[in-house]
Amino acid sequence: MARRYDSRTTIFSPEGRLYQIEYAMEAISHAGTVLGVLAKDGVVLAAEKKVTGKLLDLSSAKMEACSLVPDQRVPFRNVIGGVAGLTADANSLVNYARTAAQRHLLSYNEDIPVELLAQRMCDMKQGYTQFGGLRPFGVSLLYAGYDPHYKFQLYHSDPSGNYSGWKATCIGANNGTAQSLLKQEYKDDIEVKDAIGLVLRTMSKTMDSTTLGSEKLEFAVLTLDPATHQPKAKIYRPAEIDALLVSEGLTKKDEDAEMKTA
Amino acid sequence: MNSFVERYSATSAVGQLRKAQRLTEEEEEFSDAAWGSQAGFGNIMNGPPSFTVPNVRDPAAFLRLHTDDHADPNCRIKIQHGTTTLAFRFQGGVIVAVDSRATAGSYIASGTVKKVIEINPYLLGTMAGGAADCQYWETYLGMHCRLHELRNRERISVSAASKYLSNLVYSYKGMGLSMGTMICGWDKTGPAVFYVDSDGTRLKGDLFSVGSGSTLAYGVLDQGYRWDLTDEEAQELGRRSIYAAGHRDAFSGNTCNLYHIKQDGWTFIGNYDIAKMHYDGPGDVPGAPGGGYGYDVRLAAANSTEVAAA
Amino acid sequence: METSFALTGKGYLIMAADTTSARSIVKMKVDEDKIKTLSPHLLMAYSGEPGDTIQFAEYVERNIRLYQIRNLYALRPAAAASWIRRAVAESLRSRKPYSVNLLLGGYDTATDDPHLYWVDYLGTMAEVPFAAHGYGSYFALSLLDRYHDPDATLEEGLATLKRCIDEVSKRLVVSPGAYKIKVVDKDGVREVEL
Repeated sequence: MARRYDSRTTIFSPEGRLYQIEYAMEAISHAGTVLGVLAKDGVVLAAEKKVTGKLLDLSSAKMEACSLVPDQRVPFRNVIGGVAGLTADANSLVNYARTAAQRHLLSYNEDIPVELLAQRMCDMKQGYTQFGGLRPFGVSLLYAGYDPHYKFQLYHSDPSGNYSGWKATCIGANNGTAQSLLKQEYKDDIEVKDAIGLVLRTMSKTMDSTTLGSEKLEFAVLTLDPATHQPKAKIYRPAEIDALLVSEGLTKKDEDAEMKTA
Repeated sequence: MNSFVERYSATSAVGQLRKAQRLTEEEEEFSDAAWGSQAGFGNIMNGPPSFTVPNVRDPAAFLRLHTDDHADPNCRIKIQHGTTTLAFRFQGGVIVAVDSRATAGSYIASGTVKKVIEINPYLLGTMAGGAADCQYWETYLGMHCRLHELRNRERISVSAASKYLSNLVYSYKGMGLSMGTMICGWDKTGPAVFYVDSDGTRLKGDLFSVGSGSTLAYGVLDQGYRWDLTDEEAQELGRRSIYAAGHRDAFSGNTCNLYHIKQDGWTFIGNYDIAKMHYDGPGDVPGAPGGGYGYDVRLAAANSTEVAAA
Repeated sequence: METSFALTGKGYLIMAADTTSARSIVKMKVDEDKIKTLSPHLLMAYSGEPGDTIQFAEYVERNIRLYQIRNLYALRPAAAASWIRRAVAESLRSRKPYSVNLLLGGYDTATDDPHLYWVDYLGTMAEVPFAAHGYGSYFALSLLDRYHDPDATLEEGLATLKRCIDEVSKRLVVSPGAYKIKVVDKDGVREVEL
C-alpha cells in the first residue's frame, strides 16, 4: 500500500500519513544520539560522535559539529545545538540557522530569541513537507539557548517542522531508552553540575559501544557568565571530556587504554 | 489545436498558471480598479497593482511645466487655487459651506462652480486645490464607498472613507496632486468631519476651513462656533463665514453653496449671492438677522434703529 | 512649530509632544496626539513631513504589534528601536523616503530600566538620557544638560519637563500652545497632566 503514496512528499496516504516524513524520522532514529538536559542555571548537551574508521582525520571536524549559532559579533553565544540525522542536511540547516540568527541581529541588534530561531528553522522544514519534488530534511535538532524573555530553554525540532520545548530529551539512536531514563532521574530545579552527571550517565547507558570516551562523545554546556551575565557556551575539548568522565566515575575500561597505546 | 491541448492538459504547475492567466485575460472585461481588486475579489494573475501615472519620465516636472502659472503665465493648464470651503460639526449634524468662484490666475474663470462633491446621500466632499483632482478622486471614492456597501452590507464610516482617500492620495505623493478636502458625513458614530489633503494628512476634527480664504472664514467661524448651535444658527454661521471670505479674498466669492448633513443624509439648503448678502442679507431664511452682512450696511442699519429708538 | 521632548528618570520615562497640526500659517487642529503607544511599554513621538508621519507611525505600530502577536511577548525597547531605525534607513534609500523624526522611549521589563532613543529622518540613532526634536530642542537641550537628573523621581522629572515647556513658551516666536504628556514605567503607559 505504501508504495503508491510514499514517492512524493506532498501526497497523503489513504490513512492520512506522509510516508516521506516518517522515513526521514526513521533515518534519524539510526543516527548518533544527542541528549539535552535543561537545568536551573544552564543547559547541558551531549552528542554521540560516529567515527567511521580509524583513518578518518578528525582534526577538521572538531567541535563545530555540535555548535549551532556562534554569534560572530559578540564574544558570547546564546544558542548551541545538536543534530541527529543526515550530516549533509544538517550542515545546510545549521547554515540557515546562522543566517537567520545574524539576520535577527541585523534587524533588532539583539541575539535571536531561542524559540524564534526554532520557529525559523521549522518554517523552513515545514516547507519541504508541502512543496512537490523536494525531499524533507533528514534532521532532528536540539536547541539549547538563553534569551532574556524565557531565560534558559531547550527545544527539539523534527523533519515535519514540529518543535517543542523540553526539560530533558534525546534524539537519535535509542532515544526511547534514554528518554525513559531521563524521566526517572530528572528532577525539577536540577543544577548544571548535577545535569552534567545525568547526561553522561544516560549517554553511557544508551550508547551502543561499551566504552565512553572523548573519541565518541561531544559535550557542551551553556551557562551565564558570572562576570558579564551574558550566556556563554563551553564546548568541551577531548581532554576535558575525558577528565569529566573520570570525575563522574565513568572512566574507560582498561583494555580500551591498552588498545590506544598499542 | 495547440491552445486546445494546453487548455485541457495541464500537467505542470507552470502550465496550470499559464492556463489560468489566459482564462482570466479572456474574462477580463472590467479593469482592476472597477472591481476594486485591492479588497481581495480580483484575480491575482495580473501581477501586483501599479500606479496610473502619465507616460512621461518625470510626472512632477511635467505637471509643473504645464501648470505653473507663476513661472509661465501661458501655461496650458491652470489649477484652481483660490477657494474658500468650510465644514463643521455641531449638535445638529454637519454644516458644509463653500464659495463658487473658479480663478485662473487673475481671471475669474467661473462664478458658478459646484465645490461640494456629493459622494453619496450620506457623504459630502469639498473641493480646494486642483478642481480636476478633487472631482476625479472624490467621485472615485464614491465608487469605492458603494462597493463597500455591496460587500459589507452596511454604509462605510466617514472615518474609513476619508482614510481610503488619504491612503490613495498618499500613494501619489510627490507626483503633483493638489487637493485639500473635507470629507463630511453621518455614520454610526454620529456627525463626522475629516480633513484630507494631498500631503497625505488626515485629521479628525470639529471644524475646518480650507483654501485661500480659509483664514478669513476662520475669523468669523471660530468666534461664532458652539457645539449646541441650533440648526438655523449653524446654517447662518456657515453662510456668514463664506460671505466674510468671499468679501475679503479676491480669489473667493460669487455665491455660497450651503449643505446640512443630518442623520438621514445631506440636504442642500441653498445658494446665496455674496454681493446680495453684503447689501441685503441672504433673504428670508431662518436664522438670518435680516439686513446686509457688509460692515457699512450693518452700521447704517444699527444707526437707523438707534435713531428710530431715539 | 513642532516640538517634542523626552527624558528618563528613576524607573520611568516621560515623553511630551505638542498637539498642533499646522498647514502654512493656519493651525488646522490643536488636539492631535503625536505620541503613539507601540507596545505596553513603548512610546514613539513623531514629527516631520505631513502625511509621512502618520503613514510611517502606523507602519511601525502594526509591525511591532505583529511581532507581539507572533511571539506572545513584545520587543524590548532596544530591539524595537533598532528595527525602527532600520526602517527609516531603508526608506531613506528608496525612491520616496519617509521624512520623519522620532523619539522612542520604553521601559525594559527584563532589566527594569527606561531607555530613550533619538532617531532622525536620516536614520541616525543615539541612546540618550534626554532628547528633543524641533525648534524646542534649541532651548531645551541646554536646559536639560543643566537640570536633568537620571535618578530623579517622577515629580522631579515632570518639573524638569515643565521647565522645558515654559522656556519654549517664553522664548520661541511660534511656540506650541498645548502638549500631550505620557509616562511609561513598570506599570505601562499612562497620560499625565502637568
